[in-house]
Amino acid sequence: MSTAHPVPRRGRLFWIGTAAGWAVILYGLRGVLHHSLDTRPSQLARFWIGGAVLHDFLLAPAVLGIGVAVARLAPRRRRTALQQALVICGPLALFAYPEIRGYAHILRNPTSLPHNYTVNLLIVIGAVITAVAVKAFIRRRGGNIRATSARTGPARQDIEAPPGKV
Amino acid sequence: MPVPDLLERFTTDPDLPLRQHAYQSPLRDERLAAWLGAALGVLFTTCFVTGLFSHLHQHPLSWLPVPARPAGLYRLTQGLHVACGIASLPVLLAKLWVVWPRFVSFPPGRRIADAVERLGILALVTGGIFMVFSGVANIAQWYPWPFSFTAAHYWTAWITIGAIVAHLAAKAPITGRALRRSRHRPALADADPVLGTSAEGPYDGLDRRGFLLTVAAASGVLTVVTVGQTLPGLRRLALLAPRDAGDRPVNRSARNAGVVEAATSPDYRLRVEGRVATPLTFTLADLRALPAHTAALPIACVEGWSYSARWTGVRLRDLLALAGARPGAAVNVESLEQHSPYQVSFVNHHQAQDPDTLLATHLDGEALSEDHGFPLRLIGPDRPGVNQTKWVTRVTVL
Repeated sequence: MSTAHPVPRRGRLFWIGTAAGWAVILYGLRGVLHHSLDTRPSQLARFWIGGAVLHDFLLAPAVLGIGVAVARLAPRRRRTALQQALVICGPLALFAYPEIRGYAHILRNPTSLPHNYTVNLLIVIGAVITAVAVKAFIRRRGGNIRATSARTGPARQDIEAPPGKV
Repeated sequence: MPVPDLLERFTTDPDLPLRQHAYQSPLRDERLAAWLGAALGVLFTTCFVTGLFSHLHQHPLSWLPVPARPAGLYRLTQGLHVACGIASLPVLLAKLWVVWPRFVSFPPGRRIADAVERLGILALVTGGIFMVFSGVANIAQWYPWPFSFTAAHYWTAWITIGAIVAHLAAKAPITGRALRRSRHRPALADADPVLGTSAEGPYDGLDRRGFLLTVAAASGVLTVVTVGQTLPGLRRLALLAPRDAGDRPVNRSARNAGVVEAATSPDYRLRVEGRVATPLTFTLADLRALPAHTAALPIACVEGWSYSARWTGVRLRDLLALAGARPGAAVNVESLEQHSPYQVSFVNHHQAQDPDTLLATHLDGEALSEDHGFPLRLIGPDRPGVNQTKWVTRVTVL
């Protein structure tokens, strides 16, 4: 399946860079431990690990699953536009999550989170989808997609291969 | 499917290219990973450098006093810090997606160097995710943690930047090869037939260039809908910005700071003391009777929002002269707010002597509101908002 891939030799640059990088990492870890009243190292470590675990076991599988779903279910000629919309709107939704939940309101600061972020997120997503759709429409009118479809034949697995076909 | 088959299918060989086993997208590609890594490196490094500048403001070093000019420097650096942090969100996610097959490599490595590199990657991934998450949460004033945001963000930044250095060194040969543009570079289809047939030929989905441009667009859209909190020209597009700079926001309200009663009390006094010839005490009426000066200065919050305004009040250097402080003295300015890490702020000799450093009583021609620091607040050029102390009650000459 995969082509041969030469394993890179670990030269002097690797070890010098690793030593320098780890010196800085250890400085950071020392800072965390030295200022433990502020950093609460055990709690901070939970957030470090928790973030990676949430990414690896929740976000990444969800994105992989969406990718497979797009590859299997989305019509071929709409696939690019759908991928573009998802790649742009996903981070927008993640960013807006704490605003939509309105956690800052507990601080009783009237100037914090002044907008209706649910509505605004929908407006931005709507604008993104419109822009992507217009772009796809213009490309299709230009004949690119029609020509492409005629040349390629059956759809490829462009996101992840479905089980059993690898 | 039996477990060994599942493991075989969903794990990868660390010595083979990214695109293998179940991960067959043509977007799992070294060159794409290198471009995303380079973009992330630039964004994170910008955040680190501007973050250090902000840290230096808030934790001053006696041997490296921050200059008072240019007045808008902190506004620029902190606006850049937050904008780059926000823009890195889609890039980080895209990078993690592209290199995902490396995270499920089994065995993780075959050499000691592999284990060392993976430990560094663990620091990079956990640090990178934490930095972006905590930064985004902080600007939305969401604090789901029991530790100090600034301390945790700052020290994790060191860990992350160290991991970037180690990762750069580890990936330098691969990245250099992937990013190198040569007129004689073979077509991908020749160099890597399996990848090339799908990545360079027409197919139904984003190609590598399209994916990169889409990630750039995601960063661009996020920037456009937030950066108006510091760039007045884009204010109307700032639909997802946590603050509306046009409303002259505040970081902390008087009610939340617990100062309403003390700030509005007729017993309010400003004291100028410390290393002075004559300790002074002023009522608000006394302060308003002193010669007033107006300065147009930005107020720039560490959370990335900022706006310019006209501030009117008495010059700090005039007050120091009245009290007989030695020329070139630095001062501590103290707030009525108790039990806050920002109760006292340090004003170095450059800033204390600057003609635009004021103890202001008015904002844009109106008396300060309680949330803006009534009766008296510090405002000076090139200072973080948290150091523009509100509800000032004492100036101590050092």
